[in-house]
Amino acid sequence: MLNVKNLYKNFGNITAVDGISFEVNKEEVFGLLGPNGAGKSTTISIISTLLKPTGGEVLFEGESIFSNPKFIRRKLGVVPQDIALYPTLTGYENLRFWGNLYGLRGHELKTRIDEVAEIIGLNGRLKDKVEKYSGGMKRRLNIGAALLHKPEFLIMDEPTVGIDPQSRSHILDTVLKLKDEGLTIIYTTHYMEEAENLCNRICIMDEGKIIASGTRQELVELVKEKTQISIKLDSVNESILNSLKNMPGVNDAKLDEDTINLYGENGDILLAEIIAKVSEHKRRIQSIDVKKPNLEAVFLHLTGKALRDV
Amino acid sequence: MKVLSIIIKDFKTILSDKQAIILTMLMPIILMTILSLALKGSFIRSNSLEIERINIAVVKKYNENSDNIMFEKTLKKVMDITPDNVEINPDKIFFEDFLESKEVSKLLKYTVAEEKDALELLNKGEVAAVIVLPDKFLYNMKINLITPFRNNVDIKVLTHADKSMAGEIVTSVMEAYADSMSSVIIGKNVLIESVSANDLGQSGYDNMEEIMEGMSSLMKGISINIENTVVEGRESVTSSEYYAVAMMSMFILFAAGQGGRMLLEEKDNQTYQRMVIADISKTHILAGKFFTVFLIASVQILIMIAFSYFALKVKWKDFSSIFIISITSAFAVAGLGIFIGSLTYSMGNYKLANTFENVIIQIMALLGGSFFPLDLLPDVIQKLGFLSLNGVALKAFLKIILGYSIRDISKNILTLAITGTIFTILALIIFNKEESVDVKHNKITSVKA
Repeated sequence: MLNVKNLYKNFGNITAVDGISFEVNKEEVFGLLGPNGAGKSTTISIISTLLKPTGGEVLFEGESIFSNPKFIRRKLGVVPQDIALYPTLTGYENLRFWGNLYGLRGHELKTRIDEVAEIIGLNGRLKDKVEKYSGGMKRRLNIGAALLHKPEFLIMDEPTVGIDPQSRSHILDTVLKLKDEGLTIIYTTHYMEEAENLCNRICIMDEGKIIASGTRQELVELVKEKTQISIKLDSVNESILNSLKNMPGVNDAKLDEDTINLYGENGDILLAEIIAKVSEHKRRIQSIDVKKPNLEAVFLHLTGKALRDV
Repeated sequence: MKVLSIIIKDFKTILSDKQAIILTMLMPIILMTILSLALKGSFIRSNSLEIERINIAVVKKYNENSDNIMFEKTLKKVMDITPDNVEINPDKIFFEDFLESKEVSKLLKYTVAEEKDALELLNKGEVAAVIVLPDKFLYNMKINLITPFRNNVDIKVLTHADKSMAGEIVTSVMEAYADSMSSVIIGKNVLIESVSANDLGQSGYDNMEEIMEGMSSLMKGISINIENTVVEGRESVTSSEYYAVAMMSMFILFAAGQGGRMLLEEKDNQTYQRMVIADISKTHILAGKFFTVFLIASVQILIMIAFSYFALKVKWKDFSSIFIISITSAFAVAGLGIFIGSLTYSMGNYKLANTFENVIIQIMALLGGSFFPLDLLPDVIQKLGFLSLNGVALKAFLKIILGYSIRDISKNILTLAITGTIFTILALIIFNKEESVDVKHNKITSVKA
């Protein structure tokens, strides 16, 4: 559906987007994951036709979005990172205005506003002025304004930044609902859990470049450390440590006071065998903690820095 | 239809801004009421205002020699007094003692002219008033001042309708002159009666000149008729009429000020970007802002005309002409608004819009006569009046109130229309240019809409 080819964007001497290429398939949620300043917002500003690139091409359904921006605009909905609404107007007035700009009128507009209000969970609150909304409600309305014209392709730029967990959960549910309805979505975030839970495929960006892309599983496989199982026993000795360390599938074992940290490839299978082995040694397990590799670890692995610390 | 949606949205946004409502709608109503009432009848607080001297022309319709000869004959015949004993010169009293006195010369600057030339100067607006000293003025004044007899002296004050306030000042000054002369006559009568009662004969008049001079500072009351005739049969404006127009033409500039902020505010709120993504062209966005400012200015004018009509009893007279001026004024203001808006947008900060609201509007108000009537201000400021939109609108509105026809204000209407068109074209050029502006997250270098 969307084909980004060798995209560059320079601001003076600064390269915000550095030769990235990726494809977004129809009806998938494509995640752009990366820290602030990675180039995600610049990339989606270009795809949204707000910015012209320094170089490269973006094709939407085979049509260049730079030579024919109207083509993508008709089918595109954008949820900007900021609340792009009129705070002194009511929620309804905001939706009506944006609906009007997309050519919706009369009964059709009213019906669509009702549908969108249902999707974003704001029915009953649309008569209130936006300035009286909570941060989460504003973000939901911000999403609603992008859905009015039933876009085929939706870009969501960090839609959950700075809101309470309840609203965040509601927004994530909304995205999943839209995903189920077959909408194609580009979702940018610096929250790895969101990317992991929502996206079919993920592209990790840093300093304007794509450092990795693929499904969650494909990305996780890039990390060598695999699963970490921490097992706390009533007592530990060299014998049990060596016994666990020599188990098939266990790459390494380290003792940390009364806790043994095991590193292996398939945590789910290993866990049952580890418990059996501990029983053989007549030891009691006080706690077990399984840490599977995640996108945070992938980012750390690829860049040497933590995603949240950047 | 999309433009209409933008207009409705913007208008609703402004209506929800109480501060904007107070500034654009309520403030001019309050100010026009206060100024109308405070300056009723005079327009001026001369203590606090350094006024430019008012130019007047004086027409001497009398002949000095023939008046003197006639007076000598009359005096000899009626009172048997030789004129050498009474050296009183009304010409000198009027020009040197009165018009050139320290107080009056602060206000008035006169030139003596033939009647035809003086009227031409008045019609051109180069003088605010013409004082016509009538035929036999010298003779009649001498009769009044020296003999027991009393002759009527009709001094005419001709004023220009467009300079009504200056005309009122000249009239007031001439009334003061009349009052002074009256008191001299009273003094003279008392003297003559005393001379007669005490049978002092010729010697009783020997000190008359001295007495008259001493009394000149105490003068009060004389019946000299002053005819205040306005040229071309027009009426003068009242303070209510003047300040209704002055405040209205000034405060519509604040609508332009609001327009000056709109585009950059949309951008800062990211709603501008959202409109571009919704495939709204820049021209449509600009048109939305243009008509929003036009609507605000029109509503302002409508409210102020209605208020001044009902509350201040301002007679707007020809409403069709007022409608045409209102529309062209709102058009010019809308053009100015989007011009400021485009510049503010391209600069990426509100410095220009703030300067326009806080400084430029005030200067335009002064130059255009919204603070004080222009004929009271220095010539330099009067000449710069054409630079202010409000000044052009103010003159047009006032002329209609004064009874001029729409044809007489066609220049003003054309000026407003041309100004609005030029500003609109400039705004389109600036706004449609490629941009280089910092926004919150990205430095946008170009937007194709």
